[in-house]
Amino acid sequence: MLIGISLVSFFIMHLAPGDVTSSEASFNPKASEESRQKLRELYNLDKPVIIQYGLWVKRIVQLDFGNSFASHQKPVLWERTDKSGNVTKGLIQESLPITLMINLLGICIIFSISIFLGTLSAVRQNTWVDRSITLFVFIGFAIPGFWLALLLMYWTGVSNQWLPISGLHSLGYQNLSGFGQFIDLLKHLVLPVSISSLSGLAGISLYVRNGMLDILHQDFITTARSKGLKESKVVFIHALKNAILPLITIIGLSIPGLIGGSVIAESIFAIPGMGKLFYDSVLMRDFPVIMGILTIGSFLTLIGNLLADVGYAWADPRVRKGLVK
Amino acid sequence: MNIFLKNPLALSGLIIILTILILALIAPIIAPYDPSFIDINSILFPPSIDHLMGTDGLGRDVFSRMLYGAQISLLVGFVAVGIASLIGVILGSLAGFYRGWVDSLIMRFVDIMLSIPTFFLILAVIAFLTPSIWNIMIVIGLTSWMGVTRLVRAEFFSLRQREYVLAAETMGSNHFSIIVKHLLPNSLTPIIVSSVLGIASAVLVESGLSFLGLGVQAPTASWGNILTDGKEYIQFAWWLSLFPGLAILITVLGYNLLGEGLRDVLDPKNKD
Repeated sequence: MLIGISLVSFFIMHLAPGDVTSSEASFNPKASEESRQKLRELYNLDKPVIIQYGLWVKRIVQLDFGNSFASHQKPVLWERTDKSGNVTKGLIQESLPITLMINLLGICIIFSISIFLGTLSAVRQNTWVDRSITLFVFIGFAIPGFWLALLLMYWTGVSNQWLPISGLHSLGYQNLSGFGQFIDLLKHLVLPVSISSLSGLAGISLYVRNGMLDILHQDFITTARSKGLKESKVVFIHALKNAILPLITIIGLSIPGLIGGSVIAESIFAIPGMGKLFYDSVLMRDFPVIMGILTIGSFLTLIGNLLADVGYAWADPRVRKGLVK
Repeated sequence: MNIFLKNPLALSGLIIILTILILALIAPIIAPYDPSFIDINSILFPPSIDHLMGTDGLGRDVFSRMLYGAQISLLVGFVAVGIASLIGVILGSLAGFYRGWVDSLIMRFVDIMLSIPTFFLILAVIAFLTPSIWNIMIVIGLTSWMGVTRLVRAEFFSLRQREYVLAAETMGSNHFSIIVKHLLPNSLTPIIVSSVLGIASAVLVESGLSFLGLGVQAPTASWGNILTDGKEYIQFAWWLSLFPGLAILITVLGYNLLGEGLRDVLDPKNKD
């Protein structure tokens, strides 16, 4: 699996006409064919593709993703200490936590709101509550996130100045107290997190609704009702538990979408996360960073899927005891 | 057809899509201005009778650009999904029909493609090719066939053991004709539904890419790149942001409604 991912991300880079030497050199009219050749040798670009792949994999298993072509030769993945003891932080090391923070917050929000909406919608099936939630779901699916981001930026940031619209910290962030810093960060996160969780919110609400409807018609619910249990107990304890089980898998599967979606949200709000880093690297043709992020992103997805499987087995006694596959 | 017209979802989706299709087709006739005509005397005019949706930072008429943008958005949706469905149907048929190592190989490949964040993949490929509308359609197509593959495979798995398939096989039909004559027609419903929903997401992806400047390139108008201008002038010209976004929203909504509606209509369980 990992080998496959590494193959795909490596060969995509070589689909491209032109290589880094053409962009680096084209900015510099003095660069001769000879110096381009030297550059190619420096980055092993003169070797056959298979050997390049071999060299790359060899470094990757040692978690060495190389240095960025742009951004002052910063290491791609992790910090490096040079001889005089200066530490240069890795690009992914700096940006990944930010993206993870936004996405984890997003997942928490998606989880809590969509379970609420989905359940409400299922319990009040075919009433105006259900209809308006379904309408919201359809619009949430269809709305382009970047457009909503623009509108929200305009509304909350430009015309009302309620919320900051770019970056993670305000000017003078260092002078704030610990709590002040926290509030400042939170304010900067409101817009990006809500934008990046919107489409997931819509999808999962629908999912919860359909799951709930399915379960509410099953025998054990009828039994619970006929025992004379309160309706709230039936819904929230007996039904909900079963309806949210599959969500664990869904969340796992939605990780690539969330990570991919961070490109747009982060570039709009100028947040120095992995999505923005990726966008910038794409514009600069910064091969090592692009390949590094593709690999790390896929790796995160795999971990997410694994966690989802384990979580599912842990939460569902039928799977745990090996009763169903 | 009757049940189709009675299904409110499908019907409203169809009406939306047809309206946009017609507008896009007759764009050259009804567009009041040339979409790339730069008029420095009418920069950033708000909506008025002369310019229904105002003008942009170069004095171009936004309404005309929106009409031509509709062409782009429809084209990208159809071609990208065409490519994706073609690949998906071929690979899914092979995996579902032959099973064994063919199936394992194809499904491993699907798993690999699914675990690379799609938007990253698309961006990476597009940045290295020159961004153009054709490249975008191809790249979106090449990165979104996995769902169809899985669907077709699953359908084939359940159809493969039916009597009529076994009968055709016993009578000596070759594999190709069994797939094309018997298996594919019977798995058409999920393919159609997922293609329609696929168009919706292709439209979203295209507009996102164009918005980032990596999609359809100026001076060609696309809803996404009108929005890029909108971002620049957001403090002075709300109309540049509002209309293209609404257009994308309505189009995607239309495809989604149509897709969900078709799912209900074509499902034999809902016939009565």
